[in-house]
Amino acid sequence: MNTPGLIRAVQSSTGPHADLELVTRCRRGDSVAWRGLYDRYAPIVHRFLSAFGVPTEEREDACQEVFVAVYRSLARFRGEARLSTWIYRIAARHAGRIARRRRVRGLLSTLLVREPPPPPTPDPSERSERLQILDEMISKLSPKKRLVLVLFEIEGVPIEEVAKIAGCPENTAWSRLHYARAELMAMAKKRVK
Amino acid sequence: MTLRRGWPDGPDNVSEEMRRALDEAAHRLPDDMSLRRIWANVAVPPEPPRARRSFWFAGGVATATALVVLAGVWLWPHATDLVQAIRTRTFHADTVGARRLTLEGGVEAVIGRSGVMRIDDGAPRVEAGEVRFSVPHRQPGHPFVVRVQEYHVVVVGTRFGIALQDGATLVDVDEGIVEVWDAQHRLARLTPGESWRGPVREAAAETPPPAPQAAPAPAPLPATPPAQSFVVPSAIAHAHHFAKRTVALASPGGAVEDADAAKDPAVAARAALSAGDPGRALQLYRTLAQGTGPAAENAAYEVGKVLNERMGQPASAVAAWRRYRAAYPDGILRVEADVSIIETLAKSGDADGALAEASDFLRRRPDSERRAEIARLAGDLYRARGDCRHAVSMYQLAVGATRPRDAVETAAAHRAECQARLAGEGAR
Repeated sequence: MNTPGLIRAVQSSTGPHADLELVTRCRRGDSVAWRGLYDRYAPIVHRFLSAFGVPTEEREDACQEVFVAVYRSLARFRGEARLSTWIYRIAARHAGRIARRRRVRGLLSTLLVREPPPPPTPDPSERSERLQILDEMISKLSPKKRLVLVLFEIEGVPIEEVAKIAGCPENTAWSRLHYARAELMAMAKKRVK
Repeated sequence: MTLRRGWPDGPDNVSEEMRRALDEAAHRLPDDMSLRRIWANVAVPPEPPRARRSFWFAGGVATATALVVLAGVWLWPHATDLVQAIRTRTFHADTVGARRLTLEGGVEAVIGRSGVMRIDDGAPRVEAGEVRFSVPHRQPGHPFVVRVQEYHVVVVGTRFGIALQDGATLVDVDEGIVEVWDAQHRLARLTPGESWRGPVREAAAETPPPAPQAAPAPAPLPATPPAQSFVVPSAIAHAHHFAKRTVALASPGGAVEDADAAKDPAVAARAALSAGDPGRALQLYRTLAQGTGPAAENAAYEVGKVLNERMGQPASAVAAWRRYRAAYPDGILRVEADVSIIETLAKSGDADGALAEASDFLRRRPDSERRAEIARLAGDLYRARGDCRHAVSMYQLAVGATRPRDAVETAAAHRAECQARLAGEGAR
C-alpha cells in the first residue's frame, strides 16, 4: 500500500524559514533558541532511538551524542532539507553506529569469551508487553529496512523525507518498506501460532 | 494527537495488534527525568559550532595516525594476554610498560607500570599500583567485583581504575556506575568523573600478598569509619583528560571536606547528601537556586526533594516546589514538580489540596504521560472519602490514558469496585 502509514493530524507549525531562523539563532550562541530546539526535538530523537533498538541503558547517552553532533554541525545546515529530516539523519547515523558497536562487541565476545553478552534489558518504564514484542521484532529487521519502517510507520515521516534520511531513491525506500512490513507481519503471525 | 494508520489494514487480530503496537510506539515519550539529564549535559555544548575545511584535513591526519598507533598496539606480540582460564596467578606490569589482560567475561584490565594484580579463584584483586578496567555490561545480579585491601569494588558494566598509592585505595570512574563496599556497608557510589579515596593504611605497604591457595576474607572496618580526606590522586588524575570530581565520604554528622565541591555547589550538595548531611545540601541547593540557568532550575526543584525526602518537612517541600513553579512556569521539571506536590499533599493527609492540584494538573495536561497516575491517585482519594461518583470519573480518566499499564489496570479494578458500590446504593 503506497500511502503514508501514519499521518499526524497535528503537525509542527514550523516551516523551513522558521527552522533556518532557529538554527541561525543557535549558531549565534542564543541559548534560548538552543533550548527551544532541544525541547522540540529531544522527545522525537529519544523516541526514534528507542524504536530503532538502542538499548535503554545507552539511550540517554545516544540522545546526548546526537544533540552534541547537531550543535557541532549547525554551521552546515543550509535549510535545504527540513530541520527534522536533518536531525533524523544524524540520529540514524548514531543509532547505526551503536548497533554496529553492539554487533562487533557481541561477535568478539562470542569468539573470545565464554559468557555471551547479555540481551538488551527492556525499559522498565515501558510496561506494555505489546510494545516490547514490537521492539523485539523490529530489532530482527536489517538496519536498512528497520530505518525505513521506523521512520515511516512510527515517526510518520513522509516517504520522500525517509528516502533523504536513508540516502536512497524513493523507489528503494518503498521497496524496503514493503519487505520490512512483510517480514514484520510474518514474525507477528509466527508468534501468534 | 490523532493518528490515522494505513497499514496494516487487515481485519484480523494480528493486524489489529500490530496497529495498536505501532500506535503505542508512535506515542512513546521519554520521562522528564531523562530529558532533564540529557539537557544538563547539552545545555552548554562543548565548543561553538565550526565548519572549516581545514578541520577535515586535520581530522583525517589525526585519524590515520590514531589508526597506525592502534594497529601497532594491537599487533604488539605481548600486548594482550587472554587469562580467562587462569584461576589463580599474580600478574605484574611488563618491563616495557602497561600490560593488557582480557579476563573472564570480556573484562579488560590494564596493569600500570608498577601495578600488581592477583587472580584468586577467578576473582581479581589489586595488590599494588594502578590497574584500569573496562567491563562490558553484565547480566543483572552478576556484577563484576574487584577486591582491593578490605574493599570490594562492584560494577555492572563500566570503565574505571583502581590504584593503591601510599597505602590508600583510590577508585575513579570513566563510564558507568561503580560501588565501593567494605565487608558490610556501601561506602560510595561513583558516577562518571567521580573518584573515591579510602583511608591511608600505614601497614598496607608492608602487608604481604595473600596466600595463593585461598582468597582471604576482607577484614571488616571499624563500626564508625574515620572521616576521609578526598584529594584526587595525582597518579590517576594525570592519566585523564578531564578533571575528576570527588565523592565525599564522611563519618556520620562529619563535615564534608571537598575542595572541588566548593567550586561546584551541585556536586557539593550531592556529596553532602551521600554523607548524610541534608542540612548542608539544602543550604547549597538554596544558594544555587538563586542563580540562573539549568543548574539553578534543578537546584530549585531539589530543595523540595531534600526537604521532603531527607528532612521530613512535607509542607516546606510543597512550598519549595510551588516557588519552583512560580520561577519556572514552563520549566523542564514542571511536570515533576506538579506530581511531587500532589503526591506529597496526598501522603501528608491534605486530600483537599491534593485533589485541587490533581484536577488542575489533569485539566492543564491532557497529553501528560503521568496523567494515569494522577487520575488514579485522585480516584483513590475520592474513594477513601466514600465519594464513588467522583472516584469513578477519575478512574475513567486513568483508564483512558493507556499507560503506564499498572496504573491503568489498578484504576480499572477500582472503577469496577466503585461502580458496583454505586449500583448497590441505587438498588437500596
